[in-house]
Amino acid sequence: MKIGLVARLLALTALAVVLLLMLDACSRTGSHDDIRSAVSQLPQTLDPRYATDASSARVNRLLYRSLVDFDGHYRPKPDLATWRVLSPRLFRFTLRQEGRNFHDGRHLTAEDVAATYQSVKELADSPHAAEFANINKIEVRDESTLDFFLQDADSNFPSRLVIGIMPAELIAREHDFSREPVGSGPLKFVSWRRDLKLERLSDRQRFSFEEIRDPTVRVLKLVRGETDMLQGDLPPELVGYLKKQPAIKVTESRGSNFSYLGVNFTDPQLQNPLVRQALAHAIDRETIIRHALVGGSRLAETILPPEHWAGNPDLEAYAYDPLLARDLLAQAGIKLPLKLVYKTSTDAQRVRLATMMQAQMKLAGIDLEIRSLDWGTFFEDIKRGNFQLYGLMWVGIKTPEIYHLAFHSSSIPPKGANRGHFADRKVDEMIAVSDWANVASRVHEQLPYIPLWYEGQFAAVRKNIVGYDLRPDGGWDGLTQVKRSRMKSVFPGKNTL
Amino acid sequence: MIKRLLGVVPVVFGVLLLTFLLVHLVPGDPVEVMLGESAPMADRAKLRAELGLDQPLVAQFGHYLQNLAQGDFGRSIHTRKPIAESLKERIPATAALALLSLLIAVIIGLPLGIAAALRAGKWPDNFATILSLSLSAMPHFWLGPLLMLLFGLWLGVLPVSGMSDNLSILLPAMTLGFGLAAILTRMTRTSLLEVLHEDFVRTARAKGMNEQQVILRHALRAALLPIVTVLGLQLGGLLAGAVITETVFGWEGVGRLLVESIEKRDYPVTQACVLVIALTYVMVNLLTDLLYARLDPRIRFAG
Repeated sequence: MKIGLVARLLALTALAVVLLLMLDACSRTGSHDDIRSAVSQLPQTLDPRYATDASSARVNRLLYRSLVDFDGHYRPKPDLATWRVLSPRLFRFTLRQEGRNFHDGRHLTAEDVAATYQSVKELADSPHAAEFANINKIEVRDESTLDFFLQDADSNFPSRLVIGIMPAELIAREHDFSREPVGSGPLKFVSWRRDLKLERLSDRQRFSFEEIRDPTVRVLKLVRGETDMLQGDLPPELVGYLKKQPAIKVTESRGSNFSYLGVNFTDPQLQNPLVRQALAHAIDRETIIRHALVGGSRLAETILPPEHWAGNPDLEAYAYDPLLARDLLAQAGIKLPLKLVYKTSTDAQRVRLATMMQAQMKLAGIDLEIRSLDWGTFFEDIKRGNFQLYGLMWVGIKTPEIYHLAFHSSSIPPKGANRGHFADRKVDEMIAVSDWANVASRVHEQLPYIPLWYEGQFAAVRKNIVGYDLRPDGGWDGLTQVKRSRMKSVFPGKNTL
Repeated sequence: MIKRLLGVVPVVFGVLLLTFLLVHLVPGDPVEVMLGESAPMADRAKLRAELGLDQPLVAQFGHYLQNLAQGDFGRSIHTRKPIAESLKERIPATAALALLSLLIAVIIGLPLGIAAALRAGKWPDNFATILSLSLSAMPHFWLGPLLMLLFGLWLGVLPVSGMSDNLSILLPAMTLGFGLAAILTRMTRTSLLEVLHEDFVRTARAKGMNEQQVILRHALRAALLPIVTVLGLQLGGLLAGAVITETVFGWEGVGRLLVESIEKRDYPVTQACVLVIALTYVMVNLLTDLLYARLDPRIRFAG
């Protein structure tokens, strides 16, 4: 009897497991017409007046159209409107005829443009309000024309007008654009419960975005066919794994997002330019790019890439030379090893890059202590100037005003992002006259940032997904053309590692 | 009983006070999070006043309690969505995951534990010991992807992650349930072995009851007390949101909401999540105590 009970109990356990597995009969994900993307982070908000994170900016570009866009050299170009500079403080924008329909059927007019910018300016909790504080008045001349009057002259004013235009009537009604956006972009909003669903206007192709934070899980979902595409935010070994998968196509391209080491100028040792130069010579960037970054990554010398209209392609790279770095430190009167603390986030790839730099710097006599902090604490420390060195990346930078925000002596937090308290009279003067090439040169010489690289971009799609173009800033504009091939895939969803 | 219930009040107040202080004392300024680094000081001051952050901490705590009493958890700094709405979406997901995990644990752990106790020192016991030790030694962040590989990729029978499929819940539930099953197996084995040599078991056998009745009706019931205590505590943890498992599997529960809110310094959401988690623990512990008294009539609460 006792044996019978044991046998029965074990059989019950086995049955339970088998029952769980038998549920697989209907577990296969059905056929999807949506093109599904697995993203590391969904947008925070679909209201362009509040969006600051990269994901929101990328989706909002698809949902809304703005007055201005940028060409391949990051010069402002007309999108919804062309413009004329009537005086240094007066800009006239004329709406073009095409693309002036909101997704709810309303016609987009100059009133909508005025209401959008007026609203951004007036919202106390909009992170973009300060950027438009220089607008004195917006005057609508007719249905297609409006004038922006500025308090102070600003030759780069058009390049600021990239906020998506929203219907004036809905703004007045305090419509919740963050969850129910109404724009005039190439994609329209469908729903947002767990997944964000959008639809392309031209052919009603639907897209769904699912947030999967773990990079390995994103890769497994793609390989199994639970998602159709993913872009960026993967360590190179997972990209390498995807390249070997027969059902997956990986595309890589040049990136423009700038990675750097920030230096604190209030630190007595780091105030010495020789020490900063030693740091720049102590990192073997080419080796790191070759072994630890995705394809398309390249050396960077300053924030704006060389192809940017305000970039400086003539800057000479700081070559890896640990002996020279040691000499520079000796000249600076530093007793080796020079002990420095480097702060970074807990992201596995960032920590890995930090350990590589730590090993390289050791040869130059620099003892780098890595402190990996959760994002909130890390960023708070950086903003408070509580660091010696930190690693970060500027993402999606389009205009040279970034030099003012990052390096002008008046931009020290809380008034800007000059987190290292860098103050250089020459840089301030050059910024004042928009002499961007020389600003880049002077910054490269003074090294408030130790430049690292522009991280490459990549997308991995299932082979039946065609026509997806990568953008250097990691934008998702390729969704305006991408298609699902109707040819039956020869590659099954199942795969092996 | 009433005393036990009243004991919950100071705990809940302590939790409220602690969560309020924690999120207000950690580094980070919600106004800066909302407005960005380059916002003018005037705008910051205006928003700080609008959010009531310019008031003394005591006054802020008072407002917080007042709003809570009306069921108002406030709004998320990032999504600007009412937090109550987010919790309403997340709590059922976490509860479903917790209950299924518990079910899996009970289905696997209880029979295995009983089998191990009845055949102590023999192969069923050795098998149960090896299995339970292996499962309890595996951290969720490792077991999860392992199950994904096995069931999602190699066998191709279950969705890897997400919530789009009805069966998406199985892998995260198995990840949590297997670990819990390991604990349950060990607890059941130990507890049952203790009571199998008690006089009342011998008496039951002497009375001629069949072995199945002796084990299930007499021995197991007596052995259940420590098992219920452990299960109660574990269920409290599961209902509070399995932070790692929910994150790995993209399961939109309370645990994941908490992690996201901490990363984004979304203080009101963090505060609400911690409160919900703490209250869940308190309630589950209370229920466990009540169940304990029910299982063993000798245990009664004074008052």
